[in-house]
Amino acid sequence: MNSIAYILYLIATWLITVHVGWNLYKNGRIYILNLLHGDEALTDAINRILLTGYYLLNLGYATLMITQWQTIETLATVISSICGMVGNILLLLAAIHFINMTVIFWLSKKNKHPHSITLKY
Amino acid sequence: MNTSLNFVAYLIYLPVVAMLTWYVAHTLFKNSKVFMLDIFKGKEEIAFSTNRLFETGFYLLNLGFALKIMEVSYEIGTNRSLLEILSAKIGGFSIYLGIMLFINLYLFFRGRKISKERSKLAEALSKIPGNS
Repeated sequence: MNSIAYILYLIATWLITVHVGWNLYKNGRIYILNLLHGDEALTDAINRILLTGYYLLNLGYATLMITQWQTIETLATVISSICGMVGNILLLLAAIHFINMTVIFWLSKKNKHPHSITLKY
Repeated sequence: MNTSLNFVAYLIYLPVVAMLTWYVAHTLFKNSKVFMLDIFKGKEEIAFSTNRLFETGFYLLNLGFALKIMEVSYEIGTNRSLLEILSAKIGGFSIYLGIMLFINLYLFFRGRKISKERSKLAEALSKIPGNS
């Protein structure tokens, strides 16, 4: 029973992580581009490094969690333990995602502040 | 392999929760595009990117929470208690989703207000002579 749960769990978490990562990679680019005042080469480099770091962190953590799994006997426990673990990973991803967005928001605010209202006296 | 009532409960709970989350997220983020365009003053690319990022976060948070609260730790004995447990879980989750929806709406309205105030300020400043 445990091996079935592991396989299902790994498929679910890897799919979710890769999908979310790709989403962030595509939609976060314009923010970094704004932060760096339109320097495209640097933006793509930073974006790719961030994506790699994100994959390493999350896939590593998801795979590591397998070591702490209790022994499973029934079909109901298979579903409940998979869902509990995937739920944990999803909440972790959500937390990381919102922290990321907050940091980008702060940075862009700090970056923009001196130029947003220009008084010329 | 015996299929207990717990198993039945999970099988009912999961699709219901997934559909609920999808429906709320779909409605919310289809209509939030207008807000985003207002907030970013019509810059489509960044507005839709932000919308997508919020949507991803919304899905992650709510599905994660839904999966986390799914487990029924004891054996469900009768059909009656199955229905009671299911309705408590799904009802609780709907209330949570509703609260999340209103928090999101509040954020959108707030962003729009701030953006409007800023553009008004910029307009007023540009009318001061010698400051164009």
